[in-house]
Amino acid sequence: MGIVDYGIGNHASVMHSLRDIGFRVRVGSEIDVLNDVDVLLLPGVGAYPTAMKALHQHGLVGYLQDQARAQRPIIGICLGMQLLASASHELQYTDGLDLIPGKVVPLTEPKWHIGWNTIECVQRDSLLWPSDGQAFYFNHSFAYQGPPEYQVCVSRHLTTLSSVIRRGKVVGLQFHPEKSQAAGRILLKNVVFGLAHA
Amino acid sequence: MLKKRLVGVVTVKDGWAVQSFGYKRYLPLGRPECLIENLDRWGADEILVQVIDRSVDCQIPDFELLERIARLGLETPLIYGGGIRSVHDGVRAIQFGADRLVVDSIAHDDPCIVRGLSEQLGAQAIIAALPLSLHSGRIEWLDYRRRCATPIPEDILSLLETGVASETLIIDWTNEGYPEAFQVDLVKMFPLSAVPLIAFGGISASRQMIELLSFSNVAAIAVGNFLSYREHAVQEFKKALAGMSLRPPVYESTLPGLTDA
Repeated sequence: MGIVDYGIGNHASVMHSLRDIGFRVRVGSEIDVLNDVDVLLLPGVGAYPTAMKALHQHGLVGYLQDQARAQRPIIGICLGMQLLASASHELQYTDGLDLIPGKVVPLTEPKWHIGWNTIECVQRDSLLWPSDGQAFYFNHSFAYQGPPEYQVCVSRHLTTLSSVIRRGKVVGLQFHPEKSQAAGRILLKNVVFGLAHA
Repeated sequence: MLKKRLVGVVTVKDGWAVQSFGYKRYLPLGRPECLIENLDRWGADEILVQVIDRSVDCQIPDFELLERIARLGLETPLIYGGGIRSVHDGVRAIQFGADRLVVDSIAHDDPCIVRGLSEQLGAQAIIAALPLSLHSGRIEWLDYRRRCATPIPEDILSLLETGVASETLIIDWTNEGYPEAFQVDLVKMFPLSAVPLIAFGGISASRQMIELLSFSNVAAIAVGNFLSYREHAVQEFKKALAGMSLRPPVYESTLPGLTDA
């Protein structure tokens, strides 16, 4: 596993979680390091424009787009999932990685989605199906909006939110599997193994 | 659907986890990491670590403690409070592994910093803590550093109403630490009915939790001392709260197995 380190947020939890499952983990922004792993993981905390700026500064935007085109598995978590989309309206309009068509828009009523919510699989996806109905930890105030074909799982909180999106070997998780205890560990293991061996 | 939450609280003073009684008497419990690990293992929905002497002693957040907690590899979301005096402090606390922040004293000192934190980290990461009490039938807000209680100022209410903090932690500080002592009137009389609340202080019994969780604006209940008195306290409370929109108690054996990839 390669955690893409672009200087935003803290990777300790996700690293612990992956190592607990049994994966070998590398963390870095250098192409040499990231080329040497089976699955790339894009974490993220904070604001979208800052995160995209950091990815640009580390020369990772083109790299990640190339890797997705080459069918390399990529997983985005929380803000990392939102970065996979085409663009975001957080604070200002910002182009994203555009690996999964769609945009990121603010939640309105209510203005955030915090806590444990169940996910419902709306597509038959073998990686996610075992986690259908399980609760995961969400903490966000912006959400992905895009074509239904990319929405694998949804969660409901007054409105319906995309909780897992997927396009080929690129998967976005709006929740924090690394902070979702055993349910998160199981989902992460299934997704990583499934993508690596697909 | 989104679940209501049971938050485990660890109170830290002088580097030690303590039982706190009414914001004035403290009994040592041991190393904070031990309690935090228990809450993680028992499946608390969130863990709140409040370091109560940082702001009083004008210290920065306890980054060393956050570093030690990060090494535990928690699988439960972590909320941190204590000593956050600037946007920079808050951002660093998140970088050290906190998922959300509780702010209290800066709301007294400079509410603009709360706004700045919210802009930088998103309102979902910010919780406003209000130690409250009832005096002559009205709610008063305690400035715990100066030990004086006053009605909640209009500017603070307006700030909370704008949504700079995603939730408000209302603390029944006079009853904190005492069994079944939380005054439900604090929830009933809280002036902002649209603001999601976390109730804390003197919550020890499941019937009390059921009553609090029945309020639509109570998103979570937070329990400190009373989770430290028995093994698997979180699962036991959750069992007793079945039907209250909480995530059920988690036992690894009940989860579906791993698929073969």
